[in-house]
Amino acid sequence: MAVLGIESSAHTFGVGIVDNGKVVANAKAMYKIGSKGMIPKEVAGTHIKNAPMVIEEAMHEAGLRFSDIEAIGYTKGPGIGYCLHVGMLSAKTLAKKLNVPIIPVNHGIGHVEIAKNRAKLKDPLALYVSGGNSQILKRYGMNYKILGETFDVGIGNMLDSLARALGLYPAWGSTVEKTALEGSYVDMPYTVKGMDFSFTGMLTHASKMRGKKSNRDICFSVQETAYAMLVEATERALLLTNSKELCVCGGVAQSKRLKEMLKGMADEHRVRFGYAEDTFNADNGAMIALVAEKMLASGLSERLSDCSIEQRYRIDGARLWKE
Amino acid sequence: MERVNEGAEAVMYLAKLGSEAILIKSRNRKPWRISKIDTEIREKRTRREAKLLLSARKAGAAVPGVAAVGRYSIFMQRIDGVLLKDSKPAAKDMLTIGTYLANLHANGITHGDFTSANIMLTPDGPFIIDFGLGAFSNSEEEKALDLLLLERSISKKDYTNALKGYKSVSKEYLRVISRLNEIKKRGRYQSRTLA
Repeated sequence: MAVLGIESSAHTFGVGIVDNGKVVANAKAMYKIGSKGMIPKEVAGTHIKNAPMVIEEAMHEAGLRFSDIEAIGYTKGPGIGYCLHVGMLSAKTLAKKLNVPIIPVNHGIGHVEIAKNRAKLKDPLALYVSGGNSQILKRYGMNYKILGETFDVGIGNMLDSLARALGLYPAWGSTVEKTALEGSYVDMPYTVKGMDFSFTGMLTHASKMRGKKSNRDICFSVQETAYAMLVEATERALLLTNSKELCVCGGVAQSKRLKEMLKGMADEHRVRFGYAEDTFNADNGAMIALVAEKMLASGLSERLSDCSIEQRYRIDGARLWKE
Repeated sequence: MERVNEGAEAVMYLAKLGSEAILIKSRNRKPWRISKIDTEIREKRTRREAKLLLSARKAGAAVPGVAAVGRYSIFMQRIDGVLLKDSKPAAKDMLTIGTYLANLHANGITHGDFTSANIMLTPDGPFIIDFGLGAFSNSEEEKALDLLLLERSISKKDYTNALKGYKSVSKEYLRVISRLNEIKKRGRYQSRTLA
């Protein structure tokens, strides 16, 4: 069955189509982040403009007709309210027009599931790292549990803020990673508590170094320290849960260095390590379609009139399907 | 020398010092992080942990005694018992655990990973082990986090008893509890439970 998923929680409006667990389309359009970060109304405006085109593009890529679509999934949250509304409204309109079930999906679950799907993992411990979230997750029965988490901002958010503080463009994490190449290390605060961690102290410290140390050294040091913190917390969770598989997912999982460090750690413990391709780690509609398809098979659709968004929709509060 | 346990942080070896069994906690190299961060973390934490163990004992908490300290390893007394997470503790033990924590806090020591996996019950009463993530700190936030981790890792009944013990000794009880409530109100943590 073909299920169409719509993602619009932050800067990306994505539409993906999944057919029996296989991704057949993954179209997206992104809001360009300037020096002021994401201004919710502007991002939502961009999504509204792009939505029809991205839906068309996904249908074209899949080579399907609308009559082939059996259900619509959309991101219920967490995310930016204005942006989530655009996705929900698009999904409701499509579901009404096509007279098919609609399924609200938790964004974080989308990230974990697409990583499992692409890397062919069964029951991994997941490090979910994105702009707004940084969590260590594991599924137990009908729930995802959060084993560890950031005390303040998501790592992606921290890297984006650092890029802005240092005047880098485009102001996001991949620019920090490029700038960090061949830097040398200067001391950074390192904050891990058990399986939790914190990033704002480092951000303040690093931002004050602007002009005193080279951007290259600052970026290198922040990145090495922040990733070392994440890997340390993940390693602790891995041993605590006795997991045999590990995956990394979310926007920051596009970082080569983070994956390299995680692989080194996983190899030491003889744990299988996997991840999705970059296009599926960045926000995308395919992951929403994938989860929607699983939920649909378990009868977890929602009445149109009950559909909602939830800006702080926690992953451990989300409904899961039977495996 | 027998390898007894491999944690995320360190490897534990069991050895004999004369007739006494001792534990060696050794922080081994983690090749996935750059050596500057790696060496610094291992050195700093080893030194700090040894100091914490010594100060914790002076503060009146039962903790393993330190026999010797190397650059990346601590030689310490082996505590024979059952982890709190694997046992059904008596109310008295939970009270003692609470007073130990209050003693630590009163002396500017925070544990940093105060869960049922780091408390051991023995015939001589409870012992607090593994100060690997501890700190010399008088921050209410850190103290509240110790309580939060404890609360998340044990039953409500056990936590109530531990808190009773904590309250009976602590002079900063109200301040720490109000910080704890504030932490819990921070959106992210409302639904957190320990796996």
